[in-house]
Amino acid sequence: MNDTGNVMPRVEQYYKDYGLRAKELAAQGRCVIGYVCSFVPLELITAAGCVPFRVRGDIHEPITKGDTLLETIVCPYYRSCFDLAVKGKYSFLSGTVVPHACDSMVRSYSAWAYSLNMPYVHFVNIPSVVEASSFEFFNEELKTFKKSLEEFTGKEVTEDDLVKAIRLHNTLRDKVKSLYGLRKQDPPLISGANLTKVVTVASSLPVDEAIALLEDVLEQMAQREESPLKKGARILIDGACIDNAELIQLIEGLGANVVADTICNGARDSWPLVRVDGDPIDALSHRYLDAVNCPKTYRENKSGTFEGDIQARFRDIGFMAKEFAVDGAILYVYKYCDPFGFEVPARKAYYESIDVPLLYLEDLYSGGTIGQLRTRIQAFLEMIE
Amino acid sequence: MAEEQKKPKKRMTATKAAASIGPMVKEFIKGTVRAREEGTQKLAYTFIVCHHEEILRAMDVLPIWTENFAGICGVKRAAERYLQRAESLGFSRSLCTYALCGLGFDQWREELGEMPPDPPWGGQARPDFMISSGQILCDPRSKWYQAAQQFMPDVPVYNIDLPHPLFDPKRDHREVWGYYHKYIVDQLRGLVSFVEERTGKKMDYDRLRELTDLSDRTWNLVHETYELRRAIPCPMGTGDAMNTMVPLCFMMATQEAYDFYADLKQELEEKIAKGEGEVENEKYRLLWGGGLPAWYALTDFNYLNSKGASFPAETTYRMVVPVYEMDIPETDDPIEHIAWKWLGYWTHWYDKARKRPGSEPDVERLIEYIENYKIDGVVMHLAFSCRTWHVGLIWQLHQLAKIYKPIPVLMLGPGGNEEKAQRELPSLILESDIIDITSYSEVDTRNKIDAFIETLEAVRQNRAN
Repeated sequence: MNDTGNVMPRVEQYYKDYGLRAKELAAQGRCVIGYVCSFVPLELITAAGCVPFRVRGDIHEPITKGDTLLETIVCPYYRSCFDLAVKGKYSFLSGTVVPHACDSMVRSYSAWAYSLNMPYVHFVNIPSVVEASSFEFFNEELKTFKKSLEEFTGKEVTEDDLVKAIRLHNTLRDKVKSLYGLRKQDPPLISGANLTKVVTVASSLPVDEAIALLEDVLEQMAQREESPLKKGARILIDGACIDNAELIQLIEGLGANVVADTICNGARDSWPLVRVDGDPIDALSHRYLDAVNCPKTYRENKSGTFEGDIQARFRDIGFMAKEFAVDGAILYVYKYCDPFGFEVPARKAYYESIDVPLLYLEDLYSGGTIGQLRTRIQAFLEMIE
Repeated sequence: MAEEQKKPKKRMTATKAAASIGPMVKEFIKGTVRAREEGTQKLAYTFIVCHHEEILRAMDVLPIWTENFAGICGVKRAAERYLQRAESLGFSRSLCTYALCGLGFDQWREELGEMPPDPPWGGQARPDFMISSGQILCDPRSKWYQAAQQFMPDVPVYNIDLPHPLFDPKRDHREVWGYYHKYIVDQLRGLVSFVEERTGKKMDYDRLRELTDLSDRTWNLVHETYELRRAIPCPMGTGDAMNTMVPLCFMMATQEAYDFYADLKQELEEKIAKGEGEVENEKYRLLWGGGLPAWYALTDFNYLNSKGASFPAETTYRMVVPVYEMDIPETDDPIEHIAWKWLGYWTHWYDKARKRPGSEPDVERLIEYIENYKIDGVVMHLAFSCRTWHVGLIWQLHQLAKIYKPIPVLMLGPGGNEEKAQRELPSLILESDIIDITSYSEVDTRNKIDAFIETLEAVRQNRAN
């Protein structure tokens, strides 16, 4: 069902031919820098005059060439991204930025750096803990990143450039948040699948074009008097990066509506804003280290109880569940994902504590396995309806 | 559980020192259980190679090496019941099986209020606190104890962040390591405060300085001892080194560890003088080029030995470089010294790697060992549950083959004449896991080894000089 009117064909085109616009820009001489994770400070890339481009995997593309260079025990999502890169899908990129997010990324850094022949490769070291000394360190690490971009582009990144970039990315995040807001009503004004496509496409465009796209979608929505969707169980998706809409389409095809998420290419990345007062580097450091709530970052248990710990660590989930009045949640974790995998029992306990039914799925990043999840999702939806 | 009914075969050691390790570890683990019962010392769960042992020992804290206990469960083929318990709690079997084993064990012990039935070597004692580590690698080290708090919420965790600059061929790491050092120092001082609070004792910095000095001397001694394995025939192989890593990884900052390597050094010198090798008729010298071993299948080393293959060097667990070779600033402050040593170790191969186009530190280390130890082939082990030490191995071998071809062979040239050419070292990747025996097939492993030995033999026959 097309629930977003005329702007959707453009979104569909960019979603299917992912990177189309970035490729055009690269052909015109723009510098496009790839990244795979929400820990990469995009504002610095934009401030350096480059286009940040979120590298996607493809659940329908068998991983072949990538496996000749990288072990199969790597996160399947990351393997898919790497495989596509090796096959030349992202040959238009001038560079890539890899953050210290998980072992799969860190340990394959050399494979990215040496195998893809990109002129620019940079590693950003993200602290594992959140305390005063971590911010001090991370500020310095961000300055190193800024310096390396300046050396690569030959352009100085001034404080003014950075403040402007921060404002632009905040604006984009505000638009995405408004788009999420359309799912508060029942039935929602936009489906989860279409929202995922819009947000995914936005991460492949320069920030100003992404803002324009979101404005078009929101304008279209404003004209809508009633939702084209039907009421159904309201589902929250929890997990890492889900950049292919198939899982969400599957859930929605079974009569539910995906109304909220805490995923990396969704709310985890889009909701936290960067402070606009004070030192911009320090503001970025606080946003990326503290506000982006990733399991990779260790947060001290200050309560001394397990219950207190999970309430503090997973408060984002509780907030989204309440804000979007969800009936149930699906925790979707990729096999071999240590940061999320070690949190599964604690997350389960948290969902129980907030009285939200949960379905936990461990999966590979593959179109073939998604189909096999149908029965389990169907049974879960029947249970909560 | 069928695998647990099988009694594992004991690996034959080449050195007396390696043979002495089993009882030493057994006593060490039993000692932690005793200390718990008697309340004589504070106990801390923690991880090896975090450069914090001097701090713990200076404050009389007894470390419980949780990876070590999981490894023992693997060696004893007793891990499966703990792995299954962890799975039943919701942890995927694809995660680090050391951590799963530990979590399964802890949950069981906490549920019973006592040790689970028949635990290996008396079991793993309940800690007073846990010290995890967010390093540049190993997500499980940052997540394991946090997950364990579900079963032990009263046991506090301190997570030390220990980053190091990643290799960048275009940048000297010394440009950035100042702020890395400052951060590590802050993290270690935070650990001192945490332990002071938990033990009610103040750090004795003179004692800490003595222990850091002892650790430095032990590091240098380990290096000098392992360098003796350059001898032909090689007096001690990687199979033994998987035992002799114990004092290095679990007993650093103790006189006992220093004395162990002094004895080992003497034993190796005696063997060299007598011309005694790890194998009787050494035909191939192999490098264990990466990966933790399959702890339940250490007899594979004996199998390789039986084919005339010796392992003079390994990258696994040899987590030392001589302190006198490190290009690090001098300081009287032991905390600052520990932080510099950390950075010095992790960046040790950076300068060399920068000089060889296409190289990087892990590959450079392989090349250094290949040359120093006169290596004929490289063996690696890919453990499915550990990304930390096992992702990047394929790429390293790929890059090694691309930039380093040390074997002279005669090939047919375009004119039909034999011409001298250079070829890369043969390599073998074994696949299974560190402690999950369900991933292992002895038949498949040994078939692979046989094929590899045939390749080594063909190369030996075809060498042009």
